[in-house]
Amino acid sequence: MKAFALVLLLLPGFAFAQAPQAQAHPQDASAWLKKIYLASQKLSYSGTFVYRQGERSESSRITRIIDGASDTEKLEALDGIRREIVRSGDEVRCYLPEDKIVKVDRRSKHPTFPALLPAQNAALSGHYAISKEETARIAGYECQAIALKPKDELRYGYKLWADLGTGMLLKARVLNEKGEAVEEFTFTQLTIGGNIEKDMVKSSFAGESRQWRVENAGVVRADLAKSGWTVNAAIPGFQRVIEVNRLLRPAQRVSQMVYSDGLAAISIFIEAIEPRQEAARLGLSSMGAVNIYSRELAKHVVTVVGEAPAKTVQQLGDAVAYHRPQ
Amino acid sequence: MKDRISALMDGELSPAETEDQLHALRKGGEALEAWRRYHLIGDAIRDTRPLSRGFSTRFSERLAAEATVFSPASIPSRTEKLRARIPLSAAASLAAVALVGALAYQTFGPENQQVAQSAPEGQKPAAKAAVPMPGAVNDYLLAHQNYSPRSTLQGVAPYVRTVSESSRPR
Repeated sequence: MKAFALVLLLLPGFAFAQAPQAQAHPQDASAWLKKIYLASQKLSYSGTFVYRQGERSESSRITRIIDGASDTEKLEALDGIRREIVRSGDEVRCYLPEDKIVKVDRRSKHPTFPALLPAQNAALSGHYAISKEETARIAGYECQAIALKPKDELRYGYKLWADLGTGMLLKARVLNEKGEAVEEFTFTQLTIGGNIEKDMVKSSFAGESRQWRVENAGVVRADLAKSGWTVNAAIPGFQRVIEVNRLLRPAQRVSQMVYSDGLAAISIFIEAIEPRQEAARLGLSSMGAVNIYSRELAKHVVTVVGEAPAKTVQQLGDAVAYHRPQ
Repeated sequence: MKDRISALMDGELSPAETEDQLHALRKGGEALEAWRRYHLIGDAIRDTRPLSRGFSTRFSERLAAEATVFSPASIPSRTEKLRARIPLSAAASLAAVALVGALAYQTFGPENQQVAQSAPEGQKPAAKAAVPMPGAVNDYLLAHQNYSPRSTLQGVAPYVRTVSESSRPR
């Protein structure tokens, strides 16, 4: 996601070519966002974080090693059913030992982003008020809090806490329009840098998963307008960033369109209705900061998944239209 | 001869006859003129905007660059249905639409087939039976997560939403 970096770089008030030491303790909230971003691109770390969403709370171990050109990270759920996510470069592998399945997907390089930059830039500073807040101690680190308050009700608010020294993000909270936390990630233990064993970013299922079923998403770029699918009404600040065709499940082809305002993303999935399938769950459902909306259109199911308020997700879903291509 | 061109547009000629007609079209002249006129009539009937300049050339170039996909057999039958409901004079132009549809269908490739083959808007929606939920929610979340800016800031941490046992929507 280079776009976010570029968005940050282009924000007004940025000291573009400042020496690193001059940024050690940025005064400005925007400069803090840049510091957080840069930290996310260069720091190796290992720690445990808690994910909270409503009454649900789960611990996970996360390790990331950035070593020259290689960038690998692993997420291991410590609560509930066993599962691991390993990202190596752009490849994301999801190990599901209970089902004996490995899902293989690709993280996007977003070649479309630079073209959308001016709009993205406007989206972030135009749609969020960014401010520097209090300092707080989290998992032993003194942190600076940064608030991103939405200027409309189409998006959620964010509060980020970053280590004063390195800029490492220690805590991230997503807030609804009432200012209530809908989702929160907090490190409870974290070691930044140092010698991290390479094995820490390898899946513990690497060996046995050779016997498992591999489900490759087979993502290819697409132009959905050519197939007759369009989105009629844009959500202010949200730009279309990518359109792909992919497999969602084996033999289940799906088209996916992604919109983003630079902080949040909303995906539109379009799939043909198969006669044998289980009953659909149409309408709205929510899961922490993620809202999901499904509707039927022209013998397809349109499913919108996004880190945005239900209203926004539904609005985008209702704007999807189909016209048989001429 | 014009009947033959109309039949060609409808996909009703045998392979050998099709080859002959295409050969005639390649020579230009009256056959090509008729071909163009039929399309123009079709465009006028449908109130279609004229294609941009050089469309055919660009289309041919792109088509040549695409991998060959075997098209399904269902398209001519739809043409038949259309023919039954409309006056014959318009049939040629509508059939031409079907032909372009068939070409476009081939051009888009297999990944797009389900979308490309969908029913027209306004058609009565199928009975409530569709995507498996909520088991599939994880699949959507995983697919979505790859494009979220949050993954940049927090690495794979947001994927914890994706694979959680209790991640069933309310």
